[in-house]
Amino acid sequence: MIRVIPVLFGALFTVATAWSLGMLLFHKLSLAFHAWEERLLAFVAGSAGLSAIMFVLSATRLARRGIMLVLALGIIGYAAYSGALRVSGKPFPPLPRLWVWIFGAGFAAFTYVGFFNALAPEHSPDGMAYHLGEVLKYQHAHGFARITTDLYSNLSQGIELIYLFAVDFGRNSAASLVHFTFLVVLVFLILAYGKRIGRPDVGAAAALITYASPIVLHDASIAYIDVALAAVLFALFYLLQIWDENRDPKMLVPIGLLAGFGYEVKYTAFIAVPYAAGFIAWKLWRERKPVLRPVLVVSLIALSCIVPWMVKDWIEVANPVSPLANRLFPNPYVHISFEDSWRRYLSNYDLTSHWQIPLQLTVQGDRLEGFLGPLFLLAPFALLGLRYREGRQLLLAAAIFGCTYFSNIGTRFLIPLVPFVSLALALVITNVQWLLPTVVVAACISCWPDVYQYYCAPYAFRIEEVPVMAALRLQPEEAYLSMDPEYVVAHMIGTTVPPGERVFAISQGGQSYLQRDLLVGYESAPNEVLQDILWTPVVRINQPTRILKFDFPARELRRLRVVQTARLPANQWSIAELRVFNGQAELARDAAGRLSAQPNPWDVQLAFDNSPVTRWRSWQPAAPGMHVELDFGRLQSASGVVVESSEDTGEARVKLEGMGADGTWVTLSDRPVQSSQPIRASLRLAATAELKARGVQYLLIKPENPGASDLRTYPAFWGLTVAGAVGDVRLFHIK
Amino acid sequence: MNLIRVAFVLCCLVCVAACDRLPESYAPPEQRHPVQGFNPGPEAMMVEMSDPDASLHIANDIYGPSDPSWRWTSQNPSVRLLVLSTEHLKFHADFAIWDDGFKVTGPVEIAYLVNGRPLDKIRYTTPGIKHFERPVPPDWLSADTDTTLAMSIDKLYVAPKDGVKFGVILQRIGLKQQ
Repeated sequence: MIRVIPVLFGALFTVATAWSLGMLLFHKLSLAFHAWEERLLAFVAGSAGLSAIMFVLSATRLARRGIMLVLALGIIGYAAYSGALRVSGKPFPPLPRLWVWIFGAGFAAFTYVGFFNALAPEHSPDGMAYHLGEVLKYQHAHGFARITTDLYSNLSQGIELIYLFAVDFGRNSAASLVHFTFLVVLVFLILAYGKRIGRPDVGAAAALITYASPIVLHDASIAYIDVALAAVLFALFYLLQIWDENRDPKMLVPIGLLAGFGYEVKYTAFIAVPYAAGFIAWKLWRERKPVLRPVLVVSLIALSCIVPWMVKDWIEVANPVSPLANRLFPNPYVHISFEDSWRRYLSNYDLTSHWQIPLQLTVQGDRLEGFLGPLFLLAPFALLGLRYREGRQLLLAAAIFGCTYFSNIGTRFLIPLVPFVSLALALVITNVQWLLPTVVVAACISCWPDVYQYYCAPYAFRIEEVPVMAALRLQPEEAYLSMDPEYVVAHMIGTTVPPGERVFAISQGGQSYLQRDLLVGYESAPNEVLQDILWTPVVRINQPTRILKFDFPARELRRLRVVQTARLPANQWSIAELRVFNGQAELARDAAGRLSAQPNPWDVQLAFDNSPVTRWRSWQPAAPGMHVELDFGRLQSASGVVVESSEDTGEARVKLEGMGADGTWVTLSDRPVQSSQPIRASLRLAATAELKARGVQYLLIKPENPGASDLRTYPAFWGLTVAGAVGDVRLFHIK
Repeated sequence: MNLIRVAFVLCCLVCVAACDRLPESYAPPEQRHPVQGFNPGPEAMMVEMSDPDASLHIANDIYGPSDPSWRWTSQNPSVRLLVLSTEHLKFHADFAIWDDGFKVTGPVEIAYLVNGRPLDKIRYTTPGIKHFERPVPPDWLSADTDTTLAMSIDKLYVAPKDGVKFGVILQRIGLKQQ
């Protein structure tokens, strides 16, 4: 049980530091709040401050325990010394007795579920794979390590930096506890908002509806970030409502801070900045007051939070909003084709119809990764709240924060809307006597884990148990985590693979428990190239079987280029090998030559390396004008070109252009002779040799991975030996 | 205000200095050659019934090991294996026709198939140890997927006790480079 103390310390120390920072900010700005509002909003605003401090420490590689300890103690000490921790606001009137009982009982029951899950060893899928996986890397590097092989490290990581602080003191579960704290703060903020608008019953009901929502509670009890984002956006809304009442210009500082922090937590929350600026502009414009200065203050403070993340990405991966907008910012780290397919998947999740969404979101939860609870089937009735001013404000915020939802229809992406919809719905229901308490009690019962297992989908993303023994470390951490296959695989890799050696995997794993470099197939452009190489021996349409031969009268050329002329939305263009002939003899590749391509110039060497398993690919749909170019560096006599390509290029059409001494491009041939060249020898050894040449020494293959059966059945043909196994998962060593 | 301007300019300079222009063209890379080094060996395309991993390759109608070195088959024994190269390969099979079974079935006709295509058909008029060997056209094979080698036996011995059907006693089957 003593092992739980560092976890609790890590979480409490983080929360105390963030809270002290927020209280200091409010104290310095002399902002007027009600007592509980100040405490709650201070934690959220302080989190933005702590995240900013961690950004600076990480950027300077000073994220070391000693430095963080001294800084945090200094912040807490100074806040206490300066009197900032003394709460000055007036208290709200107490809750009605009925709601004290309902809220108290519901809050206690769901806290039991959420707290012990958060305290238990962290082993959530995304938590292990990247939220804490990245944190582990930063922890070892004492700050930002330049990572170009994992697109998740390119996302803004405002909350992950707070986790970095917590994990350094309390390991992985401390991060989950910090996230859970955001939920508790959010719940009491909702309650406080209800009191502020003179509807404590509405506040208590909405707080409980939010707290009990299965996806909200589950998400908050693991090291995800969605509930933290919900807290940030609700706190922003709350501050704007207060500003609307008192028009205190100093309130614009935390408003700008939280608007920018939204982007730091998750890209989709960029909308918080125009929301805050627009809200302020609209209110002032209606009163014919100066608009520009307040809007500029909020926008500039928000931008000061956002820009550092953009600069970091620009420096590290040549795209300020990586892994998005790769057409606008072409770079060698994330392929456009990946972005396109990722967007397609996230906007659909392989659903057969969008009519599946309502039930998936509310009661099923397997395809969209979680469910909100059956009460949210009534969410459309929240629109009746438009009759009230508060209802309009809530629904406006919900509409704005929800406008990015269809870019990712996962249930988690609706969590920031839950407080607003819950409040609006409660506002509507409270008009009928006894209906609100009845609905809230029914919602709580329907959201209890023992109850929802009867209606949700069997594989719904949800809390299934309350692991009290594991949480208190009465069950050893290792024993509890060993029930998760991803952890077991990570442990196997850690004990098998020597430090410094790289493992390539097709799918994610338990990186937060793995101190090895795991390259995941889809997580970056270089990894996708590795994956392409690995699959070429077993995927016939990837192999260089399509031969295009251009013959032309011998002439002196300075440059040659193969130009693609068709528009093929469903196919990429690729060249496995480009060979130039003079008569019957192939010209040797001269070191004086230069190679280029458009698009994806960074992989052009793959079309000139004489390897049948590597190829230059456009990594975006084939379009007219794409080309691969060879500059001889001098005049060179040539009479033919052979382009080795693959069947997956579809109906790609190519022509050959050349540049002579006069410096003008002319078409040498646009009618290549096409033939098919069957692959006569196994390419497997060539593929693993290429992986090894790129620094990969191990392959992790799960049974569901494409090609897994071939690799498991014929490891010798790949030049592999089995280095470790967990069930049907194999870790191969490349000889 | 001056301080802010200076800080802004410094920040811009730091950012600009950090930007590394990516190259637009590249030199020809190191040329790859046919992979050397580890070689699975000439027996890699043979499935030995004595091999503990033989069951990974068995696709159909080959019973569990009866002896360390051979297995009974049923009517259509088949195995899956990979080829290193599709050229100059021969189908090889070593098996035996059981004397006592032969007394019941009489002469046996066995067809040899590669990926479902008949390669040859042989009528065996005596029991005992048999060896089959025949070149396989390269076009019938593929280096990227499994190749299925099969035998199809026209007459089976049916055990009187339990009705189990037996074909031949298989020792090894596969492909060898000529």
